[in-house]
Amino acid sequence: MSLIDVKNVRKGFGDLEVLHDISFIVDKGEVVCLIGPSGSGKSTMLRCINLLEDIDEGEIDVFGQNISELKDINSYRRRVGMVFQQFNLFNNMDVLNNCVLAQMKVLKKDRKEAEARAFKELQKVGLGDFVRAYPSTLSGGQKQRVAIARALCMDPEILLFDEPTSALDPEMVGEVLNVIRDLAKEDMTMVIVTHEMAFARDVADKVIFMDDGVIVEEGKPALIFDQPKNERTRQFLARIL
Amino acid sequence: MSFAKCIEILTKYYLSFLLGIRTTLIVAISGTLFGLMIGLFVGGFRAIRLDKTASGTKKTVKKILDIVGRIYIEVFRGTPMMVQAVFIYYLVYTNIVRWGKMTAAIFVISINTGAYMAEIVRSGIQAIDPGQNEAARSLGMSSMQTMMDVILPQAIRNAFPAIGNELIVNIKDSSVLMIISITELMFQSNSIAGTTYRFTETYFLTAAIYLILTGLSSIILGMIEKRMNHTRTSLPQSDTSYSSISLANKGAKS
Repeated sequence: MSLIDVKNVRKGFGDLEVLHDISFIVDKGEVVCLIGPSGSGKSTMLRCINLLEDIDEGEIDVFGQNISELKDINSYRRRVGMVFQQFNLFNNMDVLNNCVLAQMKVLKKDRKEAEARAFKELQKVGLGDFVRAYPSTLSGGQKQRVAIARALCMDPEILLFDEPTSALDPEMVGEVLNVIRDLAKEDMTMVIVTHEMAFARDVADKVIFMDDGVIVEEGKPALIFDQPKNERTRQFLARIL
Repeated sequence: MSFAKCIEILTKYYLSFLLGIRTTLIVAISGTLFGLMIGLFVGGFRAIRLDKTASGTKKTVKKILDIVGRIYIEVFRGTPMMVQAVFIYYLVYTNIVRWGKMTAAIFVISINTGAYMAEIVRSGIQAIDPGQNEAARSLGMSSMQTMMDVILPQAIRNAFPAIGNELIVNIKDSSVLMIISITELMFQSNSIAGTTYRFTETYFLTAAIYLILTGLSSIILGMIEKRMNHTRTSLPQSDTSYSSISLANKGAKS
């Protein structure tokens, strides 16, 4: 069963159309990596799935429902976690409270229960010792792992990653990718926009190559990376690899 | 001007000065606090960005209230508080209710300060990275929850120097409220000067008292600001809190 079904989506900012007729599906438990040059519309596509952007034409069905027609956006968003390039931790709270806040406000858990869950997720991403640290004292890699733990606390059924390692120093990329790898092993459904080709090849069930607002090619990572059919895919991979 | 005369006036009329100080402080502090509340409400509302998917009626209501807020701010920033004081005092007194002068004074200074505070709060909110808002919304929090728990606490902290500045402005500018003859410091000074005919000495004392009041406020506000910044950069705590959470964790499982 497909969890996400994107059908003929068009999206523009003013006169500039950034997504031209995009369609793809994501099955339950599948890891899909969106790759492609900057400005190709990957992040915009991801943001549309979480309703951070609205689409102009087409339809996005998630959990079998057209998300443009949802009445309760907040309870939908709770089920679809999002991790951002710039981490976007709440700077006025320590790590623990970053993970506790939405559990109490949205899931209406009491503090004790929320803290226990937050602590469990923080341990999972290797930050059990940092519960009382403030975001400003953490490294980029640590911040991104907190952001992942924060999303996991909400029990999401889908996780969206918008270039999770692009703002990191090279030596911190690995620690974040390892956390995502572990999630893939647990069959978490994930859509990941990334420039880490080796990672995409390793972790993805399906790779989608986008360029200039269209899907140029999609398929199993081995096919895309070893036998790209399209000339544009070949050129892009030649530049990156 | 003679300092001996100053001391003479001070010893003779210190009770009048004290009464003036008391009224000035009551008006300035309550005006700043109520003004801050108005500012949080108006500025916070003006800074809310509706979802792109919000309904048409929601967008229209928001637009209309934004315009009302804008007019309020422009009118109260664009006219002298002295004029606002006499106009509002008599408007209400003759048409609605025979209200007390002190109530009128606090009312006027509050809505006047509120107009400035609204802009301070709004710019404080807009200085917060929009990513914070997106992150909170992506976790399923409503725009109201996001504003109250994530955005406003950070905005107030960032805007605190500007908010504190309004208190200092109010201590000085409450002097114009003597126009509706409340017994604040300037009003008291006028009566003392009128009795003693020692204008220079009296107003020298008045100026000195205002300077002491604003100076003390500066020091106190500085201390509060330092404290606020301290909590932000506090380092990871010791093992005690760590293990207590660890215990809570076990407790929740069993």
